[in-house]
Amino acid sequence: MTQGAWLCLLAPLGGAWAITVMGDSISRRTAAWISTISVFTAFAGALVSFVALLRKGAEERETMTTAWTWLSTGSFDVGLSLLIDPLSVTMMLIVSGVGGLIVLYSVGYMEGDPEERRYFAYMSFFVFSMLLLVQAGNFLILLVGWGLVGLASYLLIGFWHNRPEAVAAAKKAFIMNAFGDATMALAFFVLIWQTGTLEFAPAFAGAADLSSTALNLVALGLLGGAVAKSAQIPLHTWLPDAMEGPTPVSALIHAATMVTAGVYLIVRAHPIFELAPSIQDLAAGLGAITLLVAGLVALVQTDIKRVIAYSTMSQIGYMFLAVGLGAYSNGMFHLMTHAFFKALLFMAAGLVIHHLAGEQDIRKMGGVRRIMPRTYIAFLIGSLALVGIPPLSGFFSKDSILAAALASGGYGQVLFAFGLVGALLTGLYTFRLFFIVFRGEPSPLVEEHAHGHHGEGPWTMTVPVAVLTLLAVIGGWIQIAGLWHYFGDWLHDVAEPLVEPTVTQDYIASALAVGLGLAGMAIAWIFYAAPRRRPLPRLAAARDILEHKFYFDELYDAVFYKPAVWISAQGKRFVEDPLIGGSITGVTSGARRAGGALGEAQTGYLRTYALAIAGGVAVLIVVFVAVQ
Amino acid sequence: MRGPDVSWYLIVSAILFSIGVLGVILRRSPLIVLLSLEIMLNAANLALISFARLHGDHDGQIFALAVMAVAASEVVVGLGLIVAVARRKLVLDVDRFRVLRG
Amino acid sequence: MGDILVWAIWILAAGACLGSGIAVVSFGNPFFSALALIGNLASLAVLFLLASAEFLAAAQVLVYAGAVMVMFLFVIAYLGGRADTPFEGGPSWVSAGAVVAATALLVEIVVVIGLKAGDALSREADIERSFGSPAEIGRLFLTDHLLAFEITSIVLLVAAIGGVILGTKTRDEDELDRLGESA
Repeated sequence: MTQGAWLCLLAPLGGAWAITVMGDSISRRTAAWISTISVFTAFAGALVSFVALLRKGAEERETMTTAWTWLSTGSFDVGLSLLIDPLSVTMMLIVSGVGGLIVLYSVGYMEGDPEERRYFAYMSFFVFSMLLLVQAGNFLILLVGWGLVGLASYLLIGFWHNRPEAVAAAKKAFIMNAFGDATMALAFFVLIWQTGTLEFAPAFAGAADLSSTALNLVALGLLGGAVAKSAQIPLHTWLPDAMEGPTPVSALIHAATMVTAGVYLIVRAHPIFELAPSIQDLAAGLGAITLLVAGLVALVQTDIKRVIAYSTMSQIGYMFLAVGLGAYSNGMFHLMTHAFFKALLFMAAGLVIHHLAGEQDIRKMGGVRRIMPRTYIAFLIGSLALVGIPPLSGFFSKDSILAAALASGGYGQVLFAFGLVGALLTGLYTFRLFFIVFRGEPSPLVEEHAHGHHGEGPWTMTVPVAVLTLLAVIGGWIQIAGLWHYFGDWLHDVAEPLVEPTVTQDYIASALAVGLGLAGMAIAWIFYAAPRRRPLPRLAAARDILEHKFYFDELYDAVFYKPAVWISAQGKRFVEDPLIGGSITGVTSGARRAGGALGEAQTGYLRTYALAIAGGVAVLIVVFVAVQ
Repeated sequence: MRGPDVSWYLIVSAILFSIGVLGVILRRSPLIVLLSLEIMLNAANLALISFARLHGDHDGQIFALAVMAVAASEVVVGLGLIVAVARRKLVLDVDRFRVLRG
Repeated sequence: MGDILVWAIWILAAGACLGSGIAVVSFGNPFFSALALIGNLASLAVLFLLASAEFLAAAQVLVYAGAVMVMFLFVIAYLGGRADTPFEGGPSWVSAGAVVAATALLVEIVVVIGLKAGDALSREADIERSFGSPAEIGRLFLTDHLLAFEITSIVLLVAAIGGVILGTKTRDEDELDRLGESA
């Protein structure tokens, strides 16, 4: 089983290394297939670990395997260790499985790009980093994976580095994530200081003895990292800009895996959060606010990928809501189903973009159904799953979260209301997008591309979409409230849920959520697809706020960016130029002058040299006599 | 010992040495400089002899003989240089040889 | 009585020594300077004798006054008029500095001898009659100070070779001279 885990971790790394080392000597196609095979090998390794874990009894499903002691200072030792337990295996399967499908999809999507090899090396590297993160056996290795994932994200967002927007987006993502990394590091410092260890079990045991301030600090730091990585408010502005990267990147990193790392972290460190309940409540609150804000902003987006990005932000808000209330397995369940249908949506959108030669503005699209009927079906299924219509996967997972909220007392019920409004918005923005892009008469752009090469896309692109469509349909069937709960049982020992909704609450939540989702779809129909469409309400002020995404970008620009630029300009003017630059030139000119002055001593006159010798001897005699 | 003490010899040696230093630094003809150098060497020899007499040890005298031999060699080389300079029709003035000016 | 004689000779020799030294340094004509140096060497030889260094006195007269000074005089004769150099010119601070340095040296040594050395300089060792004789020196050269003896011979050899090399005419100089003669 441990070999399975190590294979899972190292296969993508080997792929990335091989592509890098072989460079131009392999064809671009070969590099693409190396990457794909390495990720599927990782999936095989994950499957092996999964099966091995299944065969063990529920109590023994935790194995730690350490390669070597990585860091040893004083009384603090950290090993390069992997933890194989139900939680990590779940994430491993999702990351390598969905990741493998997406990398396969990229083989078709990125064909013809001159820098394909670099892309596939980065993709393999990303998969490795994400696997390192989820398999980490202690917080330090987790932080390593965390950082590497941020790096891979930066590299992939800015893949088309000739585009300044892409470069700016990559920098923005990296810097915001760096903020989260910093808070996490601070949390770890407090942990080490107070408990002396970063291993999971000892740290959790030791955390029970800490003061509440220390616990709050640690939990807050961890939450900061999670919020940054998962693009929740207030560290969310990087995610929509990250759509500058290629579509498979958006599918893999910014839908299925990296942005879910925050949720994983909270579940993994749940003992600490449970000891700092106010922070856990804060996490739930942030999730609720994010799901609402993101849903609202998605209503006015005109870029097909940005709508899906805001949708991702919103759905992760649901996951934060869940884990913030202690419904860990529900949150993870939604993470899994979301990976399926969100990746599906991105890849279907990618099929459309690919077919329309790179166009992403939905205002230029329309009637795509006519030219891409199978993509239409895939997108439809993905959208229905996202809204949470039974019997698709999203229904089971999202409603389990809402039920848990309902069962969590007063605060939980407020968040439940948020979640319901979010369900309405989800239906609205999702089907707004669907209707604008796919239904109606084909737009002029669509007419142009009506006859594309290889049908709707090469098999490398259509097969993964088909697989994900299937998963989006059946993925939720492993946990049906009231009937069976395999997923919950699987994760029970790792993260015991704090709430267990009753069956009644489940039904109430489901009914309301589905109802509101359908209502949202209906409103979208009225405005965007009905034969006689009603014109959109004006609401200029509201529209302004939404189109500026609640002015977060402008706020951060004014509060952080401009002062930083001003400070650095002052620094340059007053410190760098005169002091540092001046000191360097001062040193050089001073050295030159000193050299010139000393050079005066070389008069060339023999007699002065003789005088110098005589004088020196005179002085020396005095010294000798004085010293005796 | 009959006659003055060793200290008197040493004082004579010191005065002679200073005279030699003055000659080396103040004169501009290389010949005179060499001659002054000889004076300095002889002053040192006198001091060595005096100390040999003081300690009853011949080492000082041996050393003085070695100094004499070395002084002779140095004079050979020095005079050779002066002759070479003169042959090139250059003026024999120590202040003129400023090529090594830094 | 003998003591007074020794003192008198000593004072005469010392005075001659210092006087000729000053003469060497101050004459304008190098020929006279060289002659003054011969006088200096001779008076030094007398002082050596008074300090029981008989062999060295003899060596001084033979080697220094005899060989070295003769060499000097040869070169001065060869150079003829070109050897004369005036006193003045050159940086004056060098002159001031020279005087200061020389005076400082003198004062320091006198201070050391007078004040610091104390009694150490008045207790002379007892010596035998053969002290400073050629036999003693020769014996020491061949036993205790053999290395110094050998190395000194090498130094002399090197100097001789150097002198010969410095003395040979290069081809250019040869041509120049012949040109000068034919013109």
